[in-house]
Amino acid sequence: MQESGMIAAYAELLAGKLDFNPSLSRRVRQEVQDHLWEAAAAGSGNGREAVQRAIANFGDPHVIAAQFATAWLARQTWKVGVTVILVISGVFVAMKARVAWYAAAQWGLSNDVRDVAKLVGLIDACAFWLSVTVGIVGCTYLVVRRVPPTAVCAAHCSRLRYLLFLSAVSAAALSVSVISDGVLTGLRLVGREFSADFLIPVSSMVVEIVCAGSLIFGVRSIVVRMAHTTALLKT
Amino acid sequence: MLKGHLDLIVLAALAAGPAHGYAIIDAIKRKSGQAFDLPEGTIYPALHRLEQAGLLSSRWTTAESGRKRRVYALTRPGHRALAERRAVWKRFSDAIGGLLEGTAPCKSPA
Repeated sequence: MQESGMIAAYAELLAGKLDFNPSLSRRVRQEVQDHLWEAAAAGSGNGREAVQRAIANFGDPHVIAAQFATAWLARQTWKVGVTVILVISGVFVAMKARVAWYAAAQWGLSNDVRDVAKLVGLIDACAFWLSVTVGIVGCTYLVVRRVPPTAVCAAHCSRLRYLLFLSAVSAAALSVSVISDGVLTGLRLVGREFSADFLIPVSSMVVEIVCAGSLIFGVRSIVVRMAHTTALLKT
Repeated sequence: MLKGHLDLIVLAALAAGPAHGYAIIDAIKRKSGQAFDLPEGTIYPALHRLEQAGLLSSRWTTAESGRKRRVYALTRPGHRALAERRAVWKRFSDAIGGLLEGTAPCKSPA
């Protein structure tokens, strides 16, 4: 194999192990290639030997990838915590804005649906506050159980796994709350003449759906990518 | 032991000015009299972690060879963190030095 092929193969091997973060993988590939070319140029011996020595001095790609994975896990943990807070706040603001608008516009419920709305409202409130409570527990856990960035990977893994579990519970409860909000909004809209006034409750529902969706998507994405990193750290 | 101080070592190596990965390793080896002969690749996760923590910034440049090169520099919080860690290390080093050289006052048993 040519020197350039050896360097490209090593960089590819390391970058391939970082597929849990595509942008990091691309960046590391270029940095490693530059490093190995420079190390080989600075080394003694013929080209092939110098490249082999540069690669050997660089270290085991698996160990280096595991160190990157540890840093990634630490960062994701904070990202999940911040996302949970932002999403719950977003849903809360949208919900309160819609309720305030109902009051201002005097959009009441018809007597036919009042009992159903009461039941759905109860489910909505319980689900929302469950989501808030679990979210707060998750964020408290994050702050109380701090792990230094240089800590071993297992510590970051268990911390993120626990937080993801709490976030998933919070997201599930929030989804129930958003669905209930959708039903309640539907009950208020049914039977009314379509007008520009519909825009407020519909757009607030869109905000809630986007918020809950982004939390579910975010948690799912990290769970999938975390599976890659834990597999990397086990082998 | 080296692993626990890698962040301080990297920050110190960048105190002289911006540098790319290979130059940082070269500076570490040179300034430590080849004492810190760590696997060169381990510097990159540390650089990435310090950048995520806001202690370093980085940008792509083009080397003379035409290859793309990532250059790292200390940020303002990075300079502060280095000064703090340097002070902690100095205190620790002085204390250990005092113990080992027997310069600390020693009370004789009554």
